[in-house]
Amino acid sequence: MMPKHYFLGFLIRSLLASGTETQPVHGALKPQKVQFQSRNFHNVLRWQPGSSLTANGSVYFVQYKMYGQRQWENKTDCWGTTALFCDLTNETLDLYEPYYGRVMTAWAGRHSAWSMTSRFTPWWETKLDPPVVTAIQVNASLLVLLHTPELPYRNQDGKNTSMESYYDLVYRVFITNNSLAKEQKAYEGTQRMVQIEGLTARSSYCIAADIYQPMLDRKSPRSERRCMKIP
Amino acid sequence: MAFLQKSMSFSLMGTLGISCLLLIALWAQEAVALPITSHCKIDVSDFQRPYFTNRTFMLAEEASLADNNTDIRLIGDELYRGVKRQDRCYVMKEVLNFTLEEVLSPQSDIFQPHMQEVVSFLTKLSNQLSLCHTSGDDRRIQKNVQTVKETVKKLGEGGKIKVIGELNLLFFFLKNACA
Repeated sequence: MMPKHYFLGFLIRSLLASGTETQPVHGALKPQKVQFQSRNFHNVLRWQPGSSLTANGSVYFVQYKMYGQRQWENKTDCWGTTALFCDLTNETLDLYEPYYGRVMTAWAGRHSAWSMTSRFTPWWETKLDPPVVTAIQVNASLLVLLHTPELPYRNQDGKNTSMESYYDLVYRVFITNNSLAKEQKAYEGTQRMVQIEGLTARSSYCIAADIYQPMLDRKSPRSERRCMKIP
Repeated sequence: MAFLQKSMSFSLMGTLGISCLLLIALWAQEAVALPITSHCKIDVSDFQRPYFTNRTFMLAEEASLADNNTDIRLIGDELYRGVKRQDRCYVMKEVLNFTLEEVLSPQSDIFQPHMQEVVSFLTKLSNQLSLCHTSGDDRRIQKNVQTVKETVKKLGEGGKIKVIGELNLLFFFLKNACA
């Protein structure tokens, strides 16, 4: 791995040194639509080739930085990649900080200028997937287990902070009953195991859940419904 | 000690009297000390209103698109350099007031419709901090805030756009320091 990186580093430096000669193709080569796509706080940089001509045989170079820093950092895993994406989750771990990413391409011995993302703040931009719901019927109650999407582990100051409060999100469980058309909210909170009690015998119930971000009043899509009959 | 000795010199005063005086003295001290911290506070519920939070972030996002300077950041940990933790809210009060008075109010015709709502939201926060003061020497604080003001001035129009683009950071910093 290392010799490859050194070689690529050398390649880039020589390309940069001859930068003036390659000026005319900059526009055509420059990666397009460089942006972060954030799902469950996993932040992936994605882009498109500069033109259909360069779609094959291009290699890409990725850098990132926190807003306000002068230096760009190389993302070594995506230094000379042929992929059109680069996972920058570990480089953008602070939810509330603004980040930038940028991509440059090299093609047929020429290189492009950098294409930069807009300012990216994970907390504001991430989209959450719904939890996966399991419901177990226990006498006249339902035990609901919420399997939440995997959120990246972060070194937290307060070790006691739960994942949920760190990410400032809650789970909501909704219940519908076959005799009662209207859906009701049965739970809202940070617990992943919820017991819903006081259900009517010989009735059918359906459970669905989502993840809610109270500060932004945003919710994930709904989970699939789980239906059960109380004997 | 001087206070105690003086009290003792009154021969008619017993232990009870001294205790009373001590209690009064303690109470008076607390009464003086309390307002300093309690006034540097914003109700946490003010940061839990999605309508304003979303608008603040939308406005910041919109302005940040017009800010090509990725190297210079106004609101960051440098603001707290040499500042005691309990004075952080006061620092942010100064930054907030500067933002409102010198950037947002004069620019209120741009970035509508969000601007108007964000200004009213931030004004409400600012009002809550109107009695917030520093407990000690504020030269260091003024110096840190002055650095921000000078950077904004130096950047001209771009500086004002930068301030607006950092309203989301202002929001987080106010929340962390004052709520």
